[in-house]
Amino acid sequence: MRRFDFLPGVRRLFRLPLRNTTAIHADIDEELESFLASRVDSLMTRGMSYDDARHEAVRHLGASIDHVRDQLHHSAELRERRMQFHEHLEDLAQDIRYAARGLVRRPAFTAVAVLTLAIGIGATTAIFSAVNVLLLRPLPVARPGELMRVSLSTPEVGQRKSIRDMVWSYPKATSFRASQQVFSSVSLYTWTQITITSGDVELIRGETVSATYFRTLGLAPSRGRDFALDVDAHAGAAPQAILSDALWQRRYNADPDIVGKIIDLDRKPYTIIGVAPQGFKGLTGQGELFTPITARSAADLSEAQSHEFFMVARRAPGVDEAQAEAAVAVLGKRINDLYPDQFVNNAPWGAAAHPLDAARVAPLIRRSLLVLFAAVGFVLLIACVNVANLLLGRASARRREIAVRLAIGAGRGRLVRLLLTESVLLSLIGAAGSIVVAWVGIRLLSGVNPATLPVQRGAGLGAVTFSSISLDWMALAFTLGVALVVGVFFGLAPALHATRASLADAMKEGGSGADNVRGSHAAVGRRLLVVAEVALALVLLAGSGLMIRSLTKLLAIDPGFDARNLLTTRLTIPPGGLSRDSLPGFYSQLTERLGALPGVTNVGLAACAPLGGGCNQTLIELKDRPKVEPARQPLVGVHWVTSDFFAAARVPLKRGRLFTTADRVGAPKVLLINETAARAFWPNEDPIGKRVGIGQGGFSDGAEVIGIVGDVRQVQDSAAKPDTYISYYQSPRAGMMVFIRTVRNPSALGGDVRRALHDLAPQFPVYDMQPMTERAASATAQARFSAVLLGLFAATALSLAVVGIYGVMSLAVTARTREIGIRIALGADQRRVQRLVVGEGLALVSVGAAIGLAGALLSTRVLQSLLFDLTASDPFTYVSILILLGGAALVASWLPARRASRVDPVVALRGD
Amino acid sequence: MALLKGTLDVLVLKTLSWTPMHAFEITSWLESRSTGRLVIDDAALLQALHRMEERKLIVADWGVTKNGRRARYYRLTPPGRAHLRAESERLVDHFEALTTVLATKKV
Repeated sequence: MRRFDFLPGVRRLFRLPLRNTTAIHADIDEELESFLASRVDSLMTRGMSYDDARHEAVRHLGASIDHVRDQLHHSAELRERRMQFHEHLEDLAQDIRYAARGLVRRPAFTAVAVLTLAIGIGATTAIFSAVNVLLLRPLPVARPGELMRVSLSTPEVGQRKSIRDMVWSYPKATSFRASQQVFSSVSLYTWTQITITSGDVELIRGETVSATYFRTLGLAPSRGRDFALDVDAHAGAAPQAILSDALWQRRYNADPDIVGKIIDLDRKPYTIIGVAPQGFKGLTGQGELFTPITARSAADLSEAQSHEFFMVARRAPGVDEAQAEAAVAVLGKRINDLYPDQFVNNAPWGAAAHPLDAARVAPLIRRSLLVLFAAVGFVLLIACVNVANLLLGRASARRREIAVRLAIGAGRGRLVRLLLTESVLLSLIGAAGSIVVAWVGIRLLSGVNPATLPVQRGAGLGAVTFSSISLDWMALAFTLGVALVVGVFFGLAPALHATRASLADAMKEGGSGADNVRGSHAAVGRRLLVVAEVALALVLLAGSGLMIRSLTKLLAIDPGFDARNLLTTRLTIPPGGLSRDSLPGFYSQLTERLGALPGVTNVGLAACAPLGGGCNQTLIELKDRPKVEPARQPLVGVHWVTSDFFAAARVPLKRGRLFTTADRVGAPKVLLINETAARAFWPNEDPIGKRVGIGQGGFSDGAEVIGIVGDVRQVQDSAAKPDTYISYYQSPRAGMMVFIRTVRNPSALGGDVRRALHDLAPQFPVYDMQPMTERAASATAQARFSAVLLGLFAATALSLAVVGIYGVMSLAVTARTREIGIRIALGADQRRVQRLVVGEGLALVSVGAAIGLAGALLSTRVLQSLLFDLTASDPFTYVSILILLGGAALVASWLPARRASRVDPVVALRGD
Repeated sequence: MALLKGTLDVLVLKTLSWTPMHAFEITSWLESRSTGRLVIDDAALLQALHRMEERKLIVADWGVTKNGRRARYYRLTPPGRAHLRAESERLVDHFEALTTVLATKKV
C-alpha cells in the first residue's frame, strides 16, 4: 500500500545535490496540505461540511496558514543547509583520507617531495630572515632614512692609504656643527671602556656622546631625562650618565629609584639622570652606559689633531641626500683650511656624508649575504622544479586510473577536487617540514658567534647583530605561499589535463600511459627540467667549491705562532689605578703568580693579540739613512711585549737576542724587529745594531735593534707586515693582554687564572678571556661562515639534483618496461641494458653540466673579491665538481638501471 | 496544554513505536490515547517531526493513505528507539518526583 520513493537514495549514490529550495518548499507544502486534508477528512466523517471542515482545520493550525508555511520553509532550509555542509565536510574528510593513503602507499615519492619542499623552503626562509635583519630591516631609531654618517676623509700620502670614513676631533667637529646648515641635528659619539669603581668593580663598554645624541636619533630615555642641550656648551660639564636598559636591569635590578643615584666611573662620581630605551645600545651596539663628551677636561678636547669621534646627523626637512653631501664636502674644505694637516703639505682632508643605512654592513659581508641569497634562490628553484617533476610524473602514471573513474560516473569537479586535495596535502606536509628546517637554520645562523664577524665599528651595524635573527614571519608566509602554489599548480595542471583525456586513449598504452613515451610532451618537459636542475646545481657547486677552496688556503697560512694550548686574557688598570713606575713591578708579580699555577709553562704579556687586527702602527725612521719627511716614512706595527711572550706564543727568535731584565726604564732603548721588517729595510745588511726611531713609546730618538723574530700575522689574509717590538719594561703600559701557555686544555685553566688575578688585584677587572684558538678562529669567521653556508646549499642542490635525475630515470624505465623486456628477450644481457639506462642519464647530465658550466663561469666572477689566492675560474675546483656531479649522476641512474636489467621479459611482455 | 519541547519528541517517538504513521495520524492517536487531554499544536508537531528526521531518530518516506492521499510516513530508526527508551525513563522519573512532592499533604 505504501510506495517508498527510492529517488533520494539513488541521488545520494551519485552525489548529486539532494534537493534545491523549490523542491524543499514543494515537499513542505505538500505535507502541510496533506495534513490539512486528513483533518478535513476526519472532520467530515463526523458530519461537517467541506467548507466548515476546511475552516476548522485551518483554524486548528493555530496561526495563519501562510505563517505556518513560512516557518516550516525556513526551518527546512536551515536544516538542508546544515546537512549539505556536513556532507561536504564528510567528502573532504574522505578526500583527505584517500589522499593520505595514496601518499603513504608511495613512500619514496612522498618522502622525496616533502623533503624537497621542506629543505628548499626552509632554507630560503632562514637565509631571508638573516638577510632581512642584517641588510633590510631598518635600524631601531626614528626615521632612519634621514640619518647620515658624516666623516672626514684623508688623502693617500706615501704609504698611508686614504681613509674615507675618518673620525673627527672635537675642535673640528665643533666647527663643523657651528657652520653647517643642512642638518637639523648633529651628534658625536664614540665607544669607550669604563670601569665602574663603586660597588662591584666591573669593566663595561659605554659610549661617550654629545648631548644631542638621543634627540638626533629620535629617541628619549625611558626613565629620567635626556642630557640638557647646554651640556655641550663647554668642556668640564657636570658628570652625568644615562644607563642602558640592560645595565639597569642587570646591575641594579631595575631599581625604580635609580635616577639621581651616584655611580663612580673610573673613580669619578657621575649622577645617573636616566635610563635609555629598552634594546638600545647605541650606534656601536655595545653601549651599556652613555656619558657626555664634555664631561672630559677641556685640555682633553682641545686637540685638533686627536681624532676619535663618529658623527651622526639628521637631515633637515627639505634637504635631500645630494644636497647634504654637497654641503658637507664644501664644509670639509673649510675645516681643512682651519685645521690643516700638520705633517704633510698639499694633502688636504675633506669631509663626506653617507646615509647611515648604507654603512650598516661591511661591504664584504653584504656581498657574501647577497651571494648566499642568490644561492638560496637557486635551491628554491631546484626544489620547485623537482617537486613539479615528481607531480607531473605521478599524474602521468595515473591517467588510466583517472580515466576509469570518469567512465564510471565520477564528476569531473569531484575528481579535480580529489587530485587537488592530494597536492595541497603534500604541500602542507612539506610546509610543516619547512618550518622545522627554517627554525633549525635560524638557530644555526644566529649561533654563528656574532661577536666574531668583522663588524664595522660605529657604523650602525652594532645596533643589529646576528644573535637577533629570528624567524621572519613574513618570509615564512611568503615561502609557504610558494610551497602551496608549486604543489597546487603542478598537481592540478596535469590533473585537469588528465581528466580531459578520453578513456580509450588512456587504456590503450600499457601501464603508465602515453605520457612517458619518449618524445611525448610530458617526457620532454621532464627531461628539460632535469637538465635545468643539473645546471643550477652546478652553478651552486662551483660557487661553494671556490669558497671552500679559498677557505682552505686561508686556513693553511702559517700565522707565525702556535695558538694551541694558549690562554689569553686582558687586564686593564683604570686611570689612576697604578702609577706608571709601579706597573713593571705589578706585572712581574702577576707573571710570577700565573707561572706558579699548575700546568702553566710560560706567561707572556703583549699589548694586543695576533690575528686580532687591533694592534698599533706607527712610523719608523731609519737612523742610518738620510732623513725622510715624516709622512713618507714607512709604517710598521709596534708591539709592547715581555720576552716571555715569544716563548708563550712560540714565535721563534731568528737572530740576535730577546729582551732581558737589563732592558728596563733608564737603560739604553732596544728594539726587536720581525723578518719582514729586516728584509724590507735592510735587504743586504745585518739589521742587528742599527738604530731606528719609532713614533711611539718615547722611542723617537732612537733605539738599537737587538734581534730578529719570526713573522706573526696580524691579519690572516694578507702578507706579513713589518713589525717592531718594544720591551714592556722599558715602556710600561696600563692595559696588557696576558698569554699563558699550558700543558692542559687552556679553558680548564680559566678559573685558576681568574682566582689568581683576583687575589693579586681585585680592583683591576679581568675580561675577554679566551683560548687563543678561539681568537684565531674569529679572524677567519667571515670566510668560514660563507663557505659553510654555501657548502650546505651546494650539498642540498646536489642531492636535489640527484633525486631529480633518479626520478626521471625511474619513470623512464617504468615506461619502457615493455621495450626493455623485448630487448632482453632478444638476447641483450644485463650489462647492456644497464648501460642503456645509465647512458641516457649521463647524457642528460652532460647537457645540464655544459649549460651549468657556462653559467658558473659567468656568475662566479661576482665572487672574485671574496676569494683568497684563487681565481674565479680555478680549474682544479671545476674539474673536481664535474667529477662529483658525474659520480652523483652515475649513482642516480644506476638504481633504475639495475631495476631495468632485472626486468623479467615474460612479465614485461605479458602484462602492463 | 503547552508542552516542553523534549516531551513532545518523546510522545511522537512513542506513537511511532507502534507503527509508522503520517503527521495527522500521530496527532489523532495522541489525542485519542490521552482521552482528549493532550492537544498538540500542529505547527509544533511538524517542526518536531522534521527536527527529529534531521537527527536521524526517524525517517520519512512518501506513501499513500487509506483515502488515497499522498502523505509522508514517519517511522522509528534504531537510534530513535534507543532515544525513546532513555528519554521516556527520564521523563517518568521526573514526573514521579514531581507528583511525590506535590502529593505530600500538609499535616
